[in-house]
Amino acid sequence: MKTIASRRRPLSPNIQIYRPQLTSVLSIVNRVTGVVLSAFAVFLVIWLSAAATGPQAFATVQSVIGSWIGQFLMIGGVFSFFMHLCGGIRHLFWDAGYGFHLRTIYASGWAVVIASFLLTGATWALSTYMAG
Amino acid sequence: MTEDKRSPFLIESSDQLPRVTVLKRFPLPRKLGVGKESRIGKGKRWPLPATAAARVKTFEIYRYDPDSGDNPVIDIFEIDLDDCGPMVLDALIWIKNKVDPTLTFRRSCREGVCGSCAMNIDGTNWLACTRYIAETDGSATIYPLSNLRIIKDLVPDLTHMFAQYSLIEPWLHSKAPAPERERLQSPAERAELDGYYECILCFCCTSGCPSHWWNGDRFLGPAALLHAYRWLIDSRDEATGERLDDLEDPFRLYRCHTILNCTRTCPKGLNPGKAIAEIKKMIVERTG
Repeated sequence: MKTIASRRRPLSPNIQIYRPQLTSVLSIVNRVTGVVLSAFAVFLVIWLSAAATGPQAFATVQSVIGSWIGQFLMIGGVFSFFMHLCGGIRHLFWDAGYGFHLRTIYASGWAVVIASFLLTGATWALSTYMAG
Repeated sequence: MTEDKRSPFLIESSDQLPRVTVLKRFPLPRKLGVGKESRIGKGKRWPLPATAAARVKTFEIYRYDPDSGDNPVIDIFEIDLDDCGPMVLDALIWIKNKVDPTLTFRRSCREGVCGSCAMNIDGTNWLACTRYIAETDGSATIYPLSNLRIIKDLVPDLTHMFAQYSLIEPWLHSKAPAPERERLQSPAERAELDGYYECILCFCCTSGCPSHWWNGDRFLGPAALLHAYRWLIDSRDEATGERLDDLEDPFRLYRCHTILNCTRTCPKGLNPGKAIAEIKKMIVERTG
């Protein structure tokens, strides 16, 4: 039998059991979308380099974007952009000391979610329209 | 207890139960990042003492016995609702009296004033004495406050959190000689402290703060910072500058990423998130 002294006290569970809430979920979403955007920044460089290299390289990258998986990733990227943008604006208000009533926290949280979906849809519709 | 008619999407006060969360826990492996000594095993089932109970409720409770040398387990208790008081704390006391006298937890005032019985009930931190049994899940889950070393069952070691509290020097600092009589405040100056002096140090917020989970060794956490703000804005305190100097640190203060689990969970309805934002503002404002 181990004695109290020889045994480390267990740590009570944290993320394993704590209930996901709009507060914590949007916080982690803001981080994840930030990481996704960094990856897309790299892709943007690839896209621009391809455009500078020549028509053939550009056509290759364009065909990747146009593929089924490319389109899927683009929607994800656009959604990440708007989610991170709206979340960032929400944080700016907080940093200025506004919007800390619990009801406001939840209202602005849902507003960020809804706005991100709407803006992603609008961007998609616009780009489809412009591409003909 | 009356039926909650408020919108489940717009949480208006921290006592509102999370009714629209799809998941009860984050979809992560239960053992991810969990030390060997902290893994939770399966415990035993404690059936109802032989009586003809009409209304039975089950509680899944975290147990850890330091004397046994075994890992923590989840025990399942059945309680007779007709024989038990209405609150979660009543259920714990009922279990201790009638089923297993070794069940260990802190409690004192049983009316939300002392902050002793803070624990994780159905995934969020709250006081057992102010949470109705009727508000809990079909099978209520009771864990100790999150991310703390456990002494026994539902009793966590709060030494570190109180050390962080003492670090902000929660008392009046005055350089002037002590006055003949009490230090006066105008009603307006006193009203500044409303919403900040009521904290009972139950640490529901700090132990529900993900930033404190990952950086709790250096990040002070919402409870200590709420108290820091309470002294920063006290009209009688003369150490505002020194207090801000002590807080201006990448970890102590700025590990707060405005997640706001603290404000969501405070059983006294206070707003630690707002207090921390105000401290950050004070630091910006004094740099001019």
